[in-house]
Amino acid sequence: MLQHLKAVWTFRYFWMSLVKMDLRSRYRRSVLGIGWSVLHPLAMSAVFCLVFAEIMRVQGGDAAGYPAQWRWYAAYLLSGMAVWEFIRNSTAIGCQALLANEAYIRQCPLPYGIYPLRTVMGTGIHFVISMTVVVVLVCVLKGAPDALGVLWAVLPVMVLLLFFCWALATLSAFSTVYFHDTAHLVEVGSQLFFFLTPIMYTRDILEKKGIGFLADINPVNLFLELIRTPIVTGQPVEAHLYVQGAVLTAAAVGLAAGTIGWLQKKVIFQL
Amino acid sequence: MAKIELQDVCLTFTIRQHRKVTLKEYLLRGLFLQSRNPKVAVHALSHLNLTAHDGERIGVIGHNGAGKSTLLKLLAGVYPPTSGTRLVEGKICSLFDIALGFEHDASGWDNIRYRSYLLGETPKTLKKKVNEIAEFSELGEFLNIPVRYYSSGMLVRLAFSISTAVEPEVLLIDEVLGAGDLAFQIKARERMREMMAAARLMVLVTHEIPTLEQICNRAIWLQHGSVVMDGPPDKVVAAYKASIPGTAPPAAPPPPGAAASVPEPPQPHVGALTAAA
Repeated sequence: MLQHLKAVWTFRYFWMSLVKMDLRSRYRRSVLGIGWSVLHPLAMSAVFCLVFAEIMRVQGGDAAGYPAQWRWYAAYLLSGMAVWEFIRNSTAIGCQALLANEAYIRQCPLPYGIYPLRTVMGTGIHFVISMTVVVVLVCVLKGAPDALGVLWAVLPVMVLLLFFCWALATLSAFSTVYFHDTAHLVEVGSQLFFFLTPIMYTRDILEKKGIGFLADINPVNLFLELIRTPIVTGQPVEAHLYVQGAVLTAAAVGLAAGTIGWLQKKVIFQL
Repeated sequence: MAKIELQDVCLTFTIRQHRKVTLKEYLLRGLFLQSRNPKVAVHALSHLNLTAHDGERIGVIGHNGAGKSTLLKLLAGVYPPTSGTRLVEGKICSLFDIALGFEHDASGWDNIRYRSYLLGETPKTLKKKVNEIAEFSELGEFLNIPVRYYSSGMLVRLAFSISTAVEPEVLLIDEVLGAGDLAFQIKARERMREMMAAARLMVLVTHEIPTLEQICNRAIWLQHGSVVMDGPPDKVVAAYKASIPGTAPPAAPPPPGAAASVPEPPQPHVGALTAAA
């Protein structure tokens, strides 16, 4: 395991240059370029806000400190979407991580952790940009810089989330090599998951229907609690949730590392 | 110090007739029913023994499908052996399918960087070598345009320049030199000789017998995944040629006057085969 990490570090220039190239090629002929990373979450959330806050009149949540209900909802939605997009994109694009890098795998035996890392660093950079926009917007919406004050609690969780998404990308990459259907399953599954996770609505709605436990067993919800709640309310959450987050991440990373160790000598024959 | 040691290495591929394994297929197998996509075992390498040290330049020849490229990939560490032990010491640099490992939308300069990092270079060590690499490849202005527009010969030049500039201790080349033009081939041979002078290990797969005879000091003849013969190039090549039906017997050298008027075909080996047919 340690050897694996050392090898990933040795080849850091390689995968870092690929990440840079991925970013550049994504916005190569675009006018706004990386500005789309900023505009996309804004536009999506504006539409959702309009629909759910005004048209469907979602209530709930503690809108304390916010001048209007819809402002709270905008903050809630934006931060939730940023986290969700990161997790969803890492898993979905991560499915192709090994297949897309087949050329390198066939030439040079690099540690397999590098390929999902390439994906996750790319989606991670978009996540950081989105989060910067979100934090700024929440401060504007609330009219108070509470969100800035709680960043010390949010940044470590973002790092944890990065490791968690790497683990998800690794697992989906390896299963896609063996079952190409995985990519489709992930696509459909994430649609379902989106609606089962309290992103667009609040947790109370699940509680009212008696299925509050769904939110408790949902790993994505844990990260939402750890990132979204502090930003929206300006206060860090209870300590035990941070511990849970760390344990979950460690378990996921352990599972991914175990998968790499188990399959690294076999996967080349499946590509 | 570079070293290769393969002991009783076997490599078996288990493949299916149809590439994709669907969920249905997986369940069928679990229910022990007849499968429409059965597994087939391909014994690419059988009980291979190979030992090589610094300063050896090994040429590998054999029929198509003998396992030459698979052997190189095994040496590079891409395929783990199914049984037996593989020991390769030294910094490995491999030149396989030349289009592999290039980022097609990036320029020549960027690709020099990516490939060098892939081979373990750092920005600091690369800074000194970049211009030398560009000069050796002789691609000039073409380095500024995306690599997708390069011909295969240009890709070979670029890949070869990069791979030899990183000072590998073990260099593995798989039939790529043929794409380069004559001037490049001469240059490449010269550079390989320089590298050999620095006591490095090289394994080269080629179908061009003259290349092998000029560069290598040891030849291995592979047939169906096993080593048939291993020794000095001239002996192995002669035995290999003798085994191929229809190869013209070595003719007496033509008189000087006649030689001057007949231009040398670019690939004399292929010419020899077709002339007799």
